[in-house]
Amino acid sequence: MLTVRKSLVAIGALLAGATLALAGARAEDVPGVTKDEIRIGSFGSLTGPTYLYGKLTMNGVDAVFAKVNEQGGINGRKLVLVREDDRCDPATAIAAVKKLVFEEKVFMIIGGGCSNATLGARPEIVKDQIPFLVFASVADGISDPVAPNIYTTMTTSSIESRSQVQYAIDKGAKKIAVVSQHDAWGQSRYEPLMAELKKRNITPVVDLEMTVDDNDATTQALKITSAGADAIIMELYAKPGAVLIRALNKLGQNPMLIAQTGIADPVAFTKEVAIPGATDKFVTPSAVRYAPSDPEVKEWVERIKKMFPNDELSVFNLMGIGSAQVLVAALKAAGPDLTREKLLQAFAHIKVDTDTYAGTIICNDPVSHQCNQSPAWMKAAGEKAEVVGVTKLN
Amino acid sequence: MMMFGYLLASGITTGALYALVALGITVVYKATRSVNFAHGDLFMIGGFIAYTFHVMWGLPYVVALLLAVAAGFAIGAVVERLAFRPLRDQGLVSLLLAAIGLSFILKGTARAVWGGKGDFIPFPPIATPSPISVGGILVVPQQLIVLAGAIAVMAIFAGLFKFTKLGRMMQATADNAKAAKLVGIPVNRVYVYTMAIGTAIAGSAAVLMAPITLLYPDIGFVLFIKSFAAAVLGGLTSIPGAVAGGFLIGLIEAMSGGYISTQVQDVSSYIVIMLVLVFMPQGLFGGRALRRV
Amino acid sequence: MRLLLGSRQFLFLMFAALAVVPAVANPYILYICNLGMLYVILAVGLNILVGYAGQFALANAAMFGIGAYGAGLLQVKLGAPYFLAAPGGAILAMLIGTAIVFPALRLSGIYLGLSTLAFAMFSQWVLLHWNSVTFGGGGFPAPHLDLSPLPIGPDTGIYFLSWLVTIALVAFAWSLVRSRIGRAFVAVRDGEIAAQSLGIDLLRYKALAFAISGFYAGTAGALYAPLLGYVSPEGFDLFQMIIQKSMIVVGGMGSVMGSVLGAAVMVFLLELLRAFKSTQEIVFGSILIAFVMFRPRGLVTLLQRLPGWEEPLSSFDPRRLFAPAASEPASSPLGASPELADEGRR
Repeated sequence: MLTVRKSLVAIGALLAGATLALAGARAEDVPGVTKDEIRIGSFGSLTGPTYLYGKLTMNGVDAVFAKVNEQGGINGRKLVLVREDDRCDPATAIAAVKKLVFEEKVFMIIGGGCSNATLGARPEIVKDQIPFLVFASVADGISDPVAPNIYTTMTTSSIESRSQVQYAIDKGAKKIAVVSQHDAWGQSRYEPLMAELKKRNITPVVDLEMTVDDNDATTQALKITSAGADAIIMELYAKPGAVLIRALNKLGQNPMLIAQTGIADPVAFTKEVAIPGATDKFVTPSAVRYAPSDPEVKEWVERIKKMFPNDELSVFNLMGIGSAQVLVAALKAAGPDLTREKLLQAFAHIKVDTDTYAGTIICNDPVSHQCNQSPAWMKAAGEKAEVVGVTKLN
Repeated sequence: MMMFGYLLASGITTGALYALVALGITVVYKATRSVNFAHGDLFMIGGFIAYTFHVMWGLPYVVALLLAVAAGFAIGAVVERLAFRPLRDQGLVSLLLAAIGLSFILKGTARAVWGGKGDFIPFPPIATPSPISVGGILVVPQQLIVLAGAIAVMAIFAGLFKFTKLGRMMQATADNAKAAKLVGIPVNRVYVYTMAIGTAIAGSAAVLMAPITLLYPDIGFVLFIKSFAAAVLGGLTSIPGAVAGGFLIGLIEAMSGGYISTQVQDVSSYIVIMLVLVFMPQGLFGGRALRRV
Repeated sequence: MRLLLGSRQFLFLMFAALAVVPAVANPYILYICNLGMLYVILAVGLNILVGYAGQFALANAAMFGIGAYGAGLLQVKLGAPYFLAAPGGAILAMLIGTAIVFPALRLSGIYLGLSTLAFAMFSQWVLLHWNSVTFGGGGFPAPHLDLSPLPIGPDTGIYFLSWLVTIALVAFAWSLVRSRIGRAFVAVRDGEIAAQSLGIDLLRYKALAFAISGFYAGTAGALYAPLLGYVSPEGFDLFQMIIQKSMIVVGGMGSVMGSVLGAAVMVFLLELLRAFKSTQEIVFGSILIAFVMFRPRGLVTLLQRLPGWEEPLSSFDPRRLFAPAASEPASSPLGASPELADEGRR
């Protein structure tokens, strides 16, 4: 019979065991590095609507690690990715980082999905001095001001906004409309965009909001039409973007459509819009220069299909692939005697071309740790994505 | 005046979607006196199932529609039998939590099965996308199809409720479950059919709507909240009320977005529901309420 | 066999154990325990409103957010010191929470749930759009707790502050539910008309219940801001509301001990779920469903049979609280109240 005394003893034993297990350490000189493996942590959304920027990007990282491990690892060490969910919430991101640092004892972290969550976790990362490579978050505040242990391979929102406005001006737009989501994701792009427009003395003719769930953009399209806009900067996910374009098409409007890395795959987007010709004037500055349908990334199509049978290669995977390749290059450069300081040194001096990014990745330490300053302007050309230009800002 | 016409058309299309989902909610409520918080997620699963049949397996649209509706029927029956029936007499909070659990299971499953296929899943349109002119207003044929489909479903359902034996049993159970049991109505089976029909309606809404919208696993909740608001606006016990409420909410959103600001478009329905519940909680068509001691 | 500890002694031991955590645990465990204490405050406050006073309100997560935003903004925008900003945030949440009593006088059950849910969605919208005040979707950094010149770091400082506040609020709730006010709440829950006929002023007691739960949630929010060092709309959304609701159901509604248990279980469960990575949602959903099927009245019912663990007025049958309409004779002694019979309110 389960007497009370027995249950108390059991509870006590459980607590003791749990404390020991949780506090127990594998004493290591360099956390996460053994003779055979390097443990690398990652945090981002694994659940919830923003899982695209977490789970799928991490899948790309895993694909690169698998390839490297097939070839024997780095200096004989296999790469192991330890994933943690941040549920797109700062509190959970802080918990995820603390867990990775103090329980999982990882060597470094490659991650960062939702910007707010990453911003929330940033002070913890700086305090723990663990090297952190950002692979998807775009908020400038993560990498600016420069922290010695934080680098990013994702084009930041200020880089994006500068490119967007530059493109509009270069193509002769006279009346610019802005349509954005006002959630945390949209806000992280909207603010730098408005700052950039103000810097150039441009006032948007309309400034409208859409939500992710909008199924109809008639109100927005009507206002854009009556303002006579010839270019629209869309700080939107693919779904509201497609809904907006359909509404504009219905009203016979055909302005320049300038998106951002949230709509990173113009070929998939054209399919989502599903109106022939409606995306002829659509461009998006992408951190990666290929769409999944490009033959250049065929190898990765197959790897992703093999590792994740339900999935198809998506642009989020490509972002993870590029970032992981930068990490691998830095790990190789840091040498067999691996320490965190050496890894950071490697990042500071890195110069690498990846399978997916448009430009060479160079981190201009100590001026800027934003290493990807070359968004590629992409548009859909049939089943391929065509690069119509690359803005190089560094 | 042009603008008003466009806003009207937009409100009616979105409203038809809310009306259909609200109909499903009200049907279940009338019979079981409970609201299924996972209703929106059942809609979502219906949409993905239709995607699997039509896009992945290449079946024609109408076949996919019928299969998705059938699948919705089956899923609703299973959910009722396994998850909700044991909790029927446990009260609102238990049912709420069970529905929330179901919602998470549905979303997690959708993410695991279809989530890696892309961020938002497109459904090919079943009519040409070029707009046609209706009374000077340009509408996309798919909008008309949604409207027609929604009206058809509502009509079928109204007929079912009024003229079939099952419909009458559902009405009896809704009025007084204990008395219905006493006269020999298989109340538990009625509940199963009700949930099944409610979910089938949600599935049909998803398939009608899929070509206009893009599917993703989290599409359910916001749709549920607004449709729930529409159902309450119409009076939670009134089927024509649910339909009217749906169209009203759609129109309110379109008008507030067009005439006030796009910033308030999304929140207008929440404000409306707060006001309605304070001043007119029985809704437009609900009966005058009695307070039971 | 007599249990060595009554519920009071158990709480004492629990808080004693919590006091030792900063000395023995790593920062991750410290953080999780701190979060757990805030969840205890949230659960206790919500239980007073839902479990004791019987109001099916879904706005608690919004109150949590108002407390955090209030405390954070008072510090960041007005330069107020924390010991003023924190109560400020809590009081703000209390005032706004109390305003919800007005719909609550006329609504119950599903309808009250929907209107409070709509209010919660509305307040999310305000947090996201009122950029000039709330910083909009991007949130803002809030100061960590600075206890200088005391030699206590910010992490330990907020931990012990949370510890003290949690003890105080749990103790207050403990005596509240055993007082006249607690009995009045239960009377309101179990039969509004009967309660009125006993001379209980519905407005007064419902307002009190909303005020208390708002204050608790606001206090938890005011402690949350320095714990994270960051305030943004995400943490106060529907998911948060679901977690809070689950806490009191899992623990046991109408029971202070149940709230404590539920909060502790939920915090650890959320962390343990991490192991499931991407399938967390499916696992969590299944656990919820299993729970309501097998232990609908909460974990605390396992313990309430033991001597020393009884709680007054807690023989709480959720079936009576929110039962779907059974057939009862209609009567409307109070005439034009639009409270709907559909909810089977007594």
